[in-house]
Amino acid sequence: MARMAGLPALALAGTLCQGAWAQDPSGKSETPSEPPPALSKACGEASISVTPLPNSALALQNRQQVKILAIGASSAAMLGMGHDGNPPLLEEILERNIKGLDVEIINRSFSGELAEAAGERLKIEVALNHPDLVLWQVGTNDAFAQVPVESFEQSVTSTVRWLKDHNVDVILVGLHYIKQLAKDAHYQAIRASLQRITVAESVLRITRYEAMEVLARTMRESGRPEPRDFGLTEAGYDCMAQYVARAIAVGLFAKPPKPHPSPAPTR
Amino acid sequence: MIRQANAIDFWRGFALVSIFINHIPGIYFERLTHRNLSISDSAELFVFLAGWSLGLLVASRKSELTAPLVARLGGRAMTIYAAQILISSIALAILAAAAYAFDNPLMLEWHNAAAAFQDPALTHIGLVLLTHQLGYFDILPLYVVLMLAAPLIALIDKFARPTLVPIALTLYVSALIVPFTAPTWPVPGQWFFNPFTWQAIFVLGFALSREQGVGAVVRCNIRLIRIVALPIVLISAILVWLNWFPDPTQLPEPKLLFLNGKSFLTPMRLIQFLALVAVFSASYAYFAPWVPGLADFLSSLGRNSLNVFCVASLLSLCGQIIRYLYTGSLLTDTMIVIGGIGLLRLTAGVSEWRDRRTTSA
Repeated sequence: MARMAGLPALALAGTLCQGAWAQDPSGKSETPSEPPPALSKACGEASISVTPLPNSALALQNRQQVKILAIGASSAAMLGMGHDGNPPLLEEILERNIKGLDVEIINRSFSGELAEAAGERLKIEVALNHPDLVLWQVGTNDAFAQVPVESFEQSVTSTVRWLKDHNVDVILVGLHYIKQLAKDAHYQAIRASLQRITVAESVLRITRYEAMEVLARTMRESGRPEPRDFGLTEAGYDCMAQYVARAIAVGLFAKPPKPHPSPAPTR
Repeated sequence: MIRQANAIDFWRGFALVSIFINHIPGIYFERLTHRNLSISDSAELFVFLAGWSLGLLVASRKSELTAPLVARLGGRAMTIYAAQILISSIALAILAAAAYAFDNPLMLEWHNAAAAFQDPALTHIGLVLLTHQLGYFDILPLYVVLMLAAPLIALIDKFARPTLVPIALTLYVSALIVPFTAPTWPVPGQWFFNPFTWQAIFVLGFALSREQGVGAVVRCNIRLIRIVALPIVLISAILVWLNWFPDPTQLPEPKLLFLNGKSFLTPMRLIQFLALVAVFSASYAYFAPWVPGLADFLSSLGRNSLNVFCVASLLSLCGQIIRYLYTGSLLTDTMIVIGGIGLLRLTAGVSEWRDRRTTSA
């Protein structure tokens, strides 16, 4: 996903989301009662691709409930902090914005876990909990633990394929952004690898890195002092939950891509 | 007086070194630990031996009145609880210090620490209640719960011994079938080590250490048990090596009875672990005379298991930070392992020196 910024980007992102929103899960052109959840001004505007979540859309259609399994290193970075014992921000945003939707979040995040181990655990959690959608925060630990890029890519790809084979949607939540890591070769290689996987496997990736970059710039442009990275990360949790909610909302009502015509038989 | 090297302390020391290495994800030497050829890993060994040690303690105090024994076991639970609170606090401080020192706020998210920094009021309550656990700092909370249950285990053993293992296994199977576990709070989730299932391996360790009951039956039939256990160990090694496990979604219900899950200590793991114990239980007597230095070294770690475990947990965290800073080459990994194990031995030595001074005073 290319990073977009400024007014043209806002308009384009808005257009993308509105276009996607004008579909119902069955693919009919009916406009749902509410627009997709808007991002707060503080979060700026990060690009959100229109990637359908067909299994979640079916769950919404059949039982008005979407079961989301959160797995990976940092649940706060995917779900938003549920301050003072409240449910995670993601659940609140989705239920507030999609009329009648009941969101069940199953949090099985385990900090420090590498992609390979998380992939194995994820299969067990899918078998036990039958989620419609998996939110997988992946890459940061592997980058810090210096996992070779090839083995990381292999682990994530095989798990994503397994999920697709088992009719579970997946959203990959990418690596964190902090400016000190912009020149870290291995960190950037893992980030690029995740980008390749999402393109090759046609799955949605929340570009946490790009979103945090946008957030940092938005804070600067709004006349606030240069954001310190600690504050940025804290603000980033809420913004990430908003990005994830918006991506899910868009994905729920996105039209599935037309299947490629099969090649004509040669004989 | 410091006790001589023995099999229990040796294997406990072995488990502690394995845990130290396995808790540094990505380190080269993790591929040399026994979990690469075993469905179960050092966590099972650690908890089983904790139960075994409890059994030895209760056996050595059989003439003691019930109330003092219960008080002693309760006191042990409090010591472990205090250790958990201490190492969690130090771990949070290490993460915060590293985040500031290396100007990397992502370290504040490591090990499930984000909640402690972003929502400190509730998370600190959770840390004290053990409902919020840092990643890789989650074995001691299980140990605390098991030691809190230890007086009850000792009482059942004293007054209704034949029911102890059946009660533990009934709870174990129920937790797998229903299923149920302990929740985390304020971050919603569940304990990594389900105390309702992991109690089974603790109680089995306790029961097998005893000269009566299940322990006696196993000792009488150990040759036959080893004949059955050996193929289990070999086949599971092949399964792990080739990663030949069934698709968990294809398994019949209740799935937890059939899949390989560490959090719930599923039967596959428990059975393989017990087979491993049966096969290797006699090995110490054969190899210890050949490697007396190694036997003494690991036994000294095992004798001081709580102190060594606490230091190992913190060193693993430091090892992760060092690997990140120095890009985790084989040289870095080797230095981390050698330095870490050296510090564990120092911890054991200091603990024994302090014990000797206390005794002589």
